[in-house]
Amino acid sequence: MPVEAPNPDATPQPVSSDTPRVSPEVSLWELVFFFGLIGLTSFGGGLTAYIRRLAVTQKGWLTDEEFFSALAIVQILPGARVVGISIYIGNHLRGLLGAALALLSIMMPPFLLVCFLGLLYFHYGENSDSKALLAGVTAVACGLMASMVFEAGQKSIRGVFDVVMIIVTFLLVRLGHMHVQYVILLLAPIAIWWHRPRPEIKGDDLNQKGSTP
Amino acid sequence: MIQTFGHLVALFMILSISAFGGGKVVLPTLQHQAVDKFHWMTNQQFVDLFGISIIDGPSMMVVTLVGLKACLQYGYVIAILGALVATIAMFLPSSILVLIVGRYWDSWKTSPWHESIQRAMMPISTGLILAAAFIIARHSIHTIPTAIMGIIALCLMLFTKLNPVIMIVAAAAISWVFLR
Repeated sequence: MPVEAPNPDATPQPVSSDTPRVSPEVSLWELVFFFGLIGLTSFGGGLTAYIRRLAVTQKGWLTDEEFFSALAIVQILPGARVVGISIYIGNHLRGLLGAALALLSIMMPPFLLVCFLGLLYFHYGENSDSKALLAGVTAVACGLMASMVFEAGQKSIRGVFDVVMIIVTFLLVRLGHMHVQYVILLLAPIAIWWHRPRPEIKGDDLNQKGSTP
Repeated sequence: MIQTFGHLVALFMILSISAFGGGKVVLPTLQHQAVDKFHWMTNQQFVDLFGISIIDGPSMMVVTLVGLKACLQYGYVIAILGALVATIAMFLPSSILVLIVGRYWDSWKTSPWHESIQRAMMPISTGLILAAAFIIARHSIHTIPTAIMGIIALCLMLFTKLNPVIMIVAAAAISWVFLR
């Protein structure tokens, strides 16, 4: 294992109590194993909490603060959240190589499984047994999708403007057949401007008005 | 064949950096491109593949299956290569973005614009997910039994913490027994 050789600091590891936290030394094999296991058991989502429990609480690879800072980044960027978090942790522990290995190992198990199921589907998809099976699978998929609409709606609606944005987005995509990248280029600047940071004075004004009888 | 790879890469690299709020938001565009523009598959196949893909992995594994189907006409080996190309094109650009933003994060961590962006993007994601749900519903809820299963799944998702994979397996078994 050439991984652990160029690492002189590894031996005199002081279990410091008050010095600022340094990320623990983690071998690349451990990273691959960790994210491979998550990829292997990533059935059905809910993974963010799971990763936090393993990486923060159990392994101590990063602090809770670092984890939530990573989550905040990943949430406003495009892409799957779990993948983003994994890359961030990989990069945090072992730099670019760590990030690349985290991405590879979390993607590999589901990739192989999904490819296998896909080939089965194209081989046997036309017979009546698999059609019956798939009727149930897609019906549940539809129910899951609907539940995601509810969850996303609950998180995003805090005013009339948000409702208008949801409806406009839906109509542009559904009736206008506009592609997602153009929808975002068109609507995101408007929405960001609407939610722009307001100057503090306004808030103070309101507070003063509210407090003076 | 090379042309198909090119189409896959171009399509998924754009979708990768458009997927604000997770992979689900690009489903309407993905369906339109895969079915209506490139004719890689039928609507029914698209929805079937989506159903298969949510069994495991991050929310966007349907990308892998679209790549697989797009190249299936060239044989199984090329098909798996297509799946790989599609998956890389979908996950690499957004991953690089995470690294870049992660590096400069500290300087704008405290910026109030962070909250603005998050609040602005969430309703747009919701609208896109709503549009995706319509597409899935139109090709999955054909009959009263499938409608009932869909509604039960929705309720279980909203009111319990049951793992969706258990629901999928159970629904597959039930519909195999009764709808065969």
